[in-house]
Amino acid sequence: MTQDTAADTVKIRIEGLHKSFGDLVVLDGIDTTIAHGEVVCVIGPSGSGKSTFLRCLNKLEDITAGRVIVDGFDLTDKRVDLDRVRQHIGMVFQHFNLFPHLSVIDNVTLAPLVTRKMDRRGAERRAMELLGQVGLADKAHVKPSTLSGGQKQRVAIARALAMNPSIMLFDEATSALDPEMVGDVLEVLRELARGGMTMVVVTHEMGFAREVGTRVIFMAGGHIVEEGPPAEIFDHPKHPRLQDFLSKVL
Amino acid sequence: MAAVAKPRESLRWATLTLVALLVMGLAALGGGAPASAEGRHYVVATDVTFAPFEFQDERGHFVGIDMDLIHAIAEDQGFQVDIKPLGFDAALQAVQANQADAVMAGMSITDERRHTFDFSDPYFDSGVQMAVLATNDDIRTYADLRGKRVAVKNGTEGAAFAESIKNHYGFTTVSFADSSSMYDEVRTGNSVAVFDDYPVLAYGIEQGNGFKTVTAKEAGNSYGMAVNKGRNAEFLRAFNAGLRNLKGSGRYDEIVERYLGAAAITPDNSFLGLLKSTFPLLMLGLRMTLILTAVSIVIALALGVLFGLLRVSRSIWLRAIGTTYVDIFRGTPLLVQAFFIYFGIPTALGIQMSAMTAGIITLSLNAGAYMTEIVRGGILSVDKGQMEAARSLGMGYLPTMRKVILPQAFRTMIPSYINQFVITLKDTSILSVIGIAELTQTGRIIIARNFQSFTMWLIIGIIYFVVIMTLTKLSDRMEKRLVK
Repeated sequence: MTQDTAADTVKIRIEGLHKSFGDLVVLDGIDTTIAHGEVVCVIGPSGSGKSTFLRCLNKLEDITAGRVIVDGFDLTDKRVDLDRVRQHIGMVFQHFNLFPHLSVIDNVTLAPLVTRKMDRRGAERRAMELLGQVGLADKAHVKPSTLSGGQKQRVAIARALAMNPSIMLFDEATSALDPEMVGDVLEVLRELARGGMTMVVVTHEMGFAREVGTRVIFMAGGHIVEEGPPAEIFDHPKHPRLQDFLSKVL
Repeated sequence: MAAVAKPRESLRWATLTLVALLVMGLAALGGGAPASAEGRHYVVATDVTFAPFEFQDERGHFVGIDMDLIHAIAEDQGFQVDIKPLGFDAALQAVQANQADAVMAGMSITDERRHTFDFSDPYFDSGVQMAVLATNDDIRTYADLRGKRVAVKNGTEGAAFAESIKNHYGFTTVSFADSSSMYDEVRTGNSVAVFDDYPVLAYGIEQGNGFKTVTAKEAGNSYGMAVNKGRNAEFLRAFNAGLRNLKGSGRYDEIVERYLGAAAITPDNSFLGLLKSTFPLLMLGLRMTLILTAVSIVIALALGVLFGLLRVSRSIWLRAIGTTYVDIFRGTPLLVQAFFIYFGIPTALGIQMSAMTAGIITLSLNAGAYMTEIVRGGILSVDKGQMEAARSLGMGYLPTMRKVILPQAFRTMIPSYINQFVITLKDTSILSVIGIAELTQTGRIIIARNFQSFTMWLIIGIIYFVVIMTLTKLSDRMEKRLVK
């Protein structure tokens, strides 16, 4: 990790990442680095492996071969305390995965209370701050089941931010939302990007990728087929598969 | 000692050690002080279904010729007795397993039993007699049994006698585990007569069981108290001395007369009469049933959570432990588990265990196996995104289970848990085999005294039904409130 002169700015280094489920190869050799403050948008057809790729970045999926190094910690090294590393990587899921038995504020405070010796008052103050940030301070004491999809996703973002992560992973965070809810959630992401958060965003929102992304990765068939600044990718796609993909979604 | 007087050092030491050990052993056997049973505490196992020798009266006290005799002898000799009514077979096993010091249960002294037990002096001369329904005028002699069926009780002198003459008189026999089934067999008309020890028949007839005797009693065996062979010799000595004293003072005849004399009380055997006279006892039994159920189901839940977590573990070894536990307890009958834990384990490990402890252990482990599967099902029913979300926040596996997965799993488990509660409540009845006086055992004890099996089982069935229905309705309501 020290041989690289840009070591300080590299947040995630992915080397020869392979992932298969039984005989099915989903990731077939991924190599890339993600620098501090980057907003990397991952696009591609369904089944291209982009969600699996994202889930390997905090090792929610076992890694078949290769290495994923986050802040200098090799996730494939058995001696690395995964829980500690994950505390610095927030993740937001397509289906929110809020804890239905807990109120909104308890959803946000649970992990800080369990993993850090934080007092409840402090955790709740921080939670209210974050809920205010996503525009849901008034919903602190209701159960998630009473919220709309967009509201749920914003609670999920607040829950991830409560651990003060330095990286945020978004797994199709707007795909399960009604169209009129998408804007609110994307606004929160935009706000985070402006604040300098390192983000990896798997998305179908091409407009968002073009506007907010600092880099776009196009994946297909378990490979990174093309990557570059949004303007390059969307205006001058080189690879035929990317051209084909863009012609269908734009 | 002279034979080994050769001055060989090692041999002499060995002999000395042996003598020292013998002296110590004898001292221990004698219990210290004046080599007697005085002040000692003895556990005496007995039958529950052998009136007039042992049975429970209306107030729940164990009475009968055996009981009154052992208490009178204990008083005479100054030792304490603790009566364990286990049933005849179980009582014999308990003494062999050293779970009890002696068995006194109208037990005939036979050569075969002398191989395993040491007997006291005989305290009662019994003899087999035949009984038929009071309304039956066809059977007057053994010869009238030709071509008919006769009911006997497993392993009794009556059974042995009937077997020995059945070919000569041309009848067949059918065996039952307890007296009330034997009598019911004749009442339903399947068999025409029973053979049993005459005091048992005489007492039953006196209680109005609707039978009569028509033949004379056969000369038979004598009853003695038995201890495990080679153990409790001082207890036998005390028993024999006490028995001699009672016979000398006339107390002995008094006690026997109390049960076999023409005391002639006519009990109220109607449904309401029985309900009223047995209700206090049945409620004690019900209380025991509920205590057993409540304690066991709480322990079972803890076991269920523990092994349920093992069952869903990612480690193949932990999973194997959970699976093995579940397979063992779901793959063997509860009855066998109860016998194994109560008789097998104490014998193998040389420890003592009360029936209550064994009962709770058995029920907890059994229900725990089913709870394990319920907990496992509950955990698997929680969306896996819940685990992923918590783990992605950096929460460990166990904190995630405790704070996120299990609270949700418990909600889906509630109906199964209530169901298991009811099953465990019903399963307590099986513990009657190790002598725990829960509701079913209480019923058996009462029937052994009053022979009213139809009415009593009806009453007991109704009690179970009412209790289970009430609990089910209550928990349904609780469930609705919790799940909301």
